[in-house]
Amino acid sequence: MTDVRRTIDAVWKLESAALIGGLTRLVRDVGLAEELAQDALVTALEQWPSSGVPDNPAAWLMTTAKRRGIDHMRRAERLTRRHEQLARELDQPRDVEQRDVEHHDVQHDDVLRLMFLSSHPVLPTEQRVALTLRVVGGLTAAEIARAFLVTEQRIAQRIAAAKQALSGVPIELPEGASLAERLSSVLEVVYLIFNEGYSATAGDDLMRLDLTLEALRLGRLLAELAPDEAEVHGLVALMEIQASRSAARTGPSGEPVQLHEQNRGRWDRLLIRRGFTALLRARDIGGPPGPYVLQAAIAVCHAQARTAEDTDWRQISTLYDALVRLRPTPVVRLNRAVAVGFAQGPEAGLALADELSTDRTLLDYHLLPGVRGDLLAKLGRPAEARVEFARAAALTRNAAERDFLLRRADELGTAAPVVTLGQAATDFLARDDLDAATKRSYAQTLRRLCSALGDRRPLESLTADEIAAVFEVAWGDAAAKTWNRHRSTVRSFGAWAALPDLPDLPHLAAMVERRVESSVRTPGLTAAQLERLWEFEVPVRERTLWRLLHESAAGVRVVLSLNVEDLDLDDRRARVAGRWVTWRSGTARLLPVLLAGRGRGPLFLADRRPGPARPRAAADLCPDTGRGRLSYERAEYLFKRATRALDPAGQGHTLRQLWSGRR
Amino acid sequence: MRYLMMQMATEHAPDERLFAEMGRFIEEMAASGLLLATGGLDAAGTRITSEGDEITVTDGPFTEAKEVVAGFALIEVRSKEEAVELGRRFRRIVGDGESRIHQVFGP
Repeated sequence: MTDVRRTIDAVWKLESAALIGGLTRLVRDVGLAEELAQDALVTALEQWPSSGVPDNPAAWLMTTAKRRGIDHMRRAERLTRRHEQLARELDQPRDVEQRDVEHHDVQHDDVLRLMFLSSHPVLPTEQRVALTLRVVGGLTAAEIARAFLVTEQRIAQRIAAAKQALSGVPIELPEGASLAERLSSVLEVVYLIFNEGYSATAGDDLMRLDLTLEALRLGRLLAELAPDEAEVHGLVALMEIQASRSAARTGPSGEPVQLHEQNRGRWDRLLIRRGFTALLRARDIGGPPGPYVLQAAIAVCHAQARTAEDTDWRQISTLYDALVRLRPTPVVRLNRAVAVGFAQGPEAGLALADELSTDRTLLDYHLLPGVRGDLLAKLGRPAEARVEFARAAALTRNAAERDFLLRRADELGTAAPVVTLGQAATDFLARDDLDAATKRSYAQTLRRLCSALGDRRPLESLTADEIAAVFEVAWGDAAAKTWNRHRSTVRSFGAWAALPDLPDLPHLAAMVERRVESSVRTPGLTAAQLERLWEFEVPVRERTLWRLLHESAAGVRVVLSLNVEDLDLDDRRARVAGRWVTWRSGTARLLPVLLAGRGRGPLFLADRRPGPARPRAAADLCPDTGRGRLSYERAEYLFKRATRALDPAGQGHTLRQLWSGRR
Repeated sequence: MRYLMMQMATEHAPDERLFAEMGRFIEEMAASGLLLATGGLDAAGTRITSEGDEITVTDGPFTEAKEVVAGFALIEVRSKEEAVELGRRFRRIVGDGESRIHQVFGP
């Protein structure tokens, strides 16, 4: 019994792409195709254990799915013509064994179309990844969930949402310019899956090999389906060569081993050779090299070096120059800094890495301090390197990597017993003369300061310039009030930690100037904008919240804290936190609809029940539906998204702007 | 996980139809990203045995044709069942005879 189940699972994984791809062509809907295929699978699970696995399981599944399709379409009359076509197809069952060449090509097209569809740019990235693994890779929601460390339910939701979003999207293969764009979307999904497996972003394992292999399989498949696209072969080459190092990337206790320290004897020569072949295929196609071909060429340079010392860093840094021109992303620039560090010396590398320290996107990226630490160590500046490694360790979410970084920090000798920034921050917050709110606010500022400057950083080595730089990167475009709050935290921390002794603290005060908090910071929405806003097609919850904020002029948090039992519908008012919130006719009309008979619990509810990992206080749960209270962040996000259309700058508005304009 | 599939030699010579079907099967395995390497092996081969200090080198062919490996395919699959399923498909193409499947550890 179990054996048959495992056989069915294997057949399914081998065949699901062709199966779902073929069905999608016939029924023109990937969601329906997947359901039909799943139905066939269920039938197989029912029948095969007693009847035995048929000789040709793939053909059996296809025939069964088509029969289901006809039944389904007979019920949905509007699709009668499709149903006729499907019936015709079924009348000429083509056995897999008798596949003629033509059919072979049809099948390839089916799978390629399916890949384009499942990684369609209309879908958010997470949905593209989940759907591709599901319909092309044949993985179950549980398997995908395990690989990405999320709940099965969430994956199922992503897949369902993706299928729904795709209904109505044409399934034809794109042509011309749109082909290139769509293809890059497919490549992106495959490489994302690969990277999720290869450099697992979270968890205890450095690698989740199954995902790596799944991506490789998808890439190789794609290379056969679209053999004339250089970038496809480039991506395959890149993945083959990166995967060839899998065994050498971790040490005996699971710690990461950096490329130039890896035992090259443990590199998989077979995959390296396959990588070389794929890159040659890409070069044969010609044209200017794209980002994947360039990255593959860099990987090939590493693979060709017999020892780390043999590495042609000059060539690699030239390739990075070309890559930076195509994709000037901070991560690519950071990698170039590493290459330049080897090719031209750590000084040059550090200069490039330092350019990135003002990049906001790298604020919490552990590899930036990691690279800086490496270069500083090489430059013979161990104290600074130690701080950087500790900073990197605090930023990474991967346990193996954190241990490794801390060990590198410790290897650089122990610091002289000085007070560190982290220690000072902890002591500062441990004072008992601070109330909870102040403490929370202080902690927020200091956490950012510690993660940006390193919590092992000796307190006395801090300079005003550095602190000012952190301010600029982290809070440069924050509201004046926020900026000033952080500023006063630093000032009081400085005073407490006796930083005034530092000669340049006055200099800091000058650099981080107090910003003027204007009384009318953000203009309210204009009457015309409000008119349009009330016309928006949004759920009643949003409609009510916005009206209420507008009519009551109460704070957003106050309004969100309202409970159903606080409401006095007749007098159009509610008492909350010792204050009255009042409203007018617009809100009064909407409230009964929103309440829908509820008598207790939060007035504004979140979209769904809170997950088990995020328990809520009973007061924030609806006793009837179990859903949580709508959060401030979510409410702001929804408003911002909805009002993009109203905002000439296209950024959207904040909820405060609903009433501030009337003052 | 990787598996080495080995086909034992048979007495009947392959015909053109078999070659075509094999070609297509191999192409499909390569296309689905499963096939890492494949090849046929010279039936004769050379046997090297050692006993004590003595190493003997014997050129084939050897008498027991059934034990001769005629070809191999190195595949990368998600489970043993997938390897077995591919083995089944292969056997269906080539007819009577024997294959062996071994999981490959390493590299």
